[in-house]
Amino acid sequence: MSGTRLIWFHGKECPHCRKLAPVVDQFEAETGIKLERLEVWHNEENAKLMRSLADTIAPACGGDLGVPAFYNEVTGKAICGRIDMAKLVAWAKG
Amino acid sequence: MKKLWRCHVCNDVHLGNKPPEVCPTCGAKNAFVLSDLGEALDIIGKDHASLDDQAKVQAAWKQFSDQSSTVRLTDKAEEVELLSKGVLENLKGKGQRYCPCRITTGDRGKDLNLICPCNFIRQPTFKEEGECWCGLFVKRDAQ
Repeated sequence: MSGTRLIWFHGKECPHCRKLAPVVDQFEAETGIKLERLEVWHNEENAKLMRSLADTIAPACGGDLGVPAFYNEVTGKAICGRIDMAKLVAWAKG
Repeated sequence: MKKLWRCHVCNDVHLGNKPPEVCPTCGAKNAFVLSDLGEALDIIGKDHASLDDQAKVQAAWKQFSDQSSTVRLTDKAEEVELLSKGVLENLKGKGQRYCPCRITTGDRGKDLNLICPCNFIRQPTFKEEGECWCGLFVKRDAQ
């Protein structure tokens, strides 16, 4: 997929996504890089977009699509699951 | 494809590749006969409580946890609360109590694997970190 977005796919009722929110906030504050936050259980368009990226995201999630998942449109790289600041920075900067 | 089986002694209904050797309800041996959807639905009836509120969902998870010697429900009450809310949101929006930390694919067969509790034993997070993907169930020696 072409584009320049850094996308965070998350679920409103996913505990790991909730725990990750302050880390993402901190990441944005420290780097000045904004992530596009797309909720996938209450927004079907976001879910469709995530499904369209399944070939990249699912392997990063251990085989199945899951949240939290991050997709970098520039590099085409995805990370998924229990993410920390270091992983987030490495993913965002390619 | 799995088939429906009926215990001819107590009308226990089983969905599986082969009939159980011993009926789990009445204990009769080699008692299951091939059934079909119409017969099975008639036997099951409609007077069963729905798991449609958080207390009922959490009670089902607790029953699942209590019977297992290897896995248990997490001690994190806030997460149990949030996840039970999530599976009910998914029941309302998507038709099943799907894991709020997964995403449906639209393929019925695949999506049935997302109903909570899923088959989390196969997941890398369970093997490596002792937790299912969403953290609801943990290995008994973990946490």
